[in-house]
Amino acid sequence: MNEKLKAKPLLGITDTETVMLDFDSTPFKKVKYWASRIMKYFSLEGFLVLKSSKNSYHIVFNRKVSWTENVRIMAWACLESCNERLVKWFLLQCRKEESTLRVSAKGKKPSPRIVYRCGRQDAEIRNYIRHRSLIKSIIRKLRFKEVKRND
Amino acid sequence: MVKKIAVYGSYEAKIPVKQRFWKRRKDGIRQRYWKKTKGTKKIEQSGRYEFHGTGKDLYKAVIKALEIMPKGFVDVSAEEFLEHPEKYGQEGEWIERKVES
Repeated sequence: MNEKLKAKPLLGITDTETVMLDFDSTPFKKVKYWASRIMKYFSLEGFLVLKSSKNSYHIVFNRKVSWTENVRIMAWACLESCNERLVKWFLLQCRKEESTLRVSAKGKKPSPRIVYRCGRQDAEIRNYIRHRSLIKSIIRKLRFKEVKRND
Repeated sequence: MVKKIAVYGSYEAKIPVKQRFWKRRKDGIRQRYWKKTKGTKKIEQSGRYEFHGTGKDLYKAVIKALEIMPKGFVDVSAEEFLEHPEKYGQEGEWIERKVES
């Protein structure tokens, strides 16, 4: 019963104009390889890699794109990398018509942390980081409120 | 387009139980209808909010979203959600279950 009361929804960032990818069950070296290959192929200016859990990484690219171009890039990444988990994630994003990446912790997994940066970070990546810190501050306030209530 | 905050997961909520009944129409056909009863049943389902707006409104909306579960997929501005939360959700409890983003 207590576990149910403690449970909280997950918080994430949703956007249509930022290219975001979720690589699960992939080692860091491969993730870096795919990120730089996608960045060069589609001229995405720069990228950011976040580690969400062991062998799971999120990639955010810098250039602003339309939703159709975003889908094109995500589909290309799915086909080229042959990553089943990425394909599943891609289908979920297509169903919503916008892509989401988790920011809060999920079960035993901690919240994703930045592990690698490459190229320009001044457009969508900057907006992403700004929004991420806003969500993190909300989570911090919620935790503080909970501690206060328990006291 | 602005970035949005997604609040998502699985939840348990109590919904009214519906009961079916039949009524004979004027043309002789037996038509099935549904009516709401006083009884409620617990259901487990998933839902998500997509909030956009200013920082303060977003914070308040997320706090509100902890108590009010979304009715399916809700894409709304934080300000509007705070004005009429009952329009977009129902009371319930978030539960931990495997969810995909």
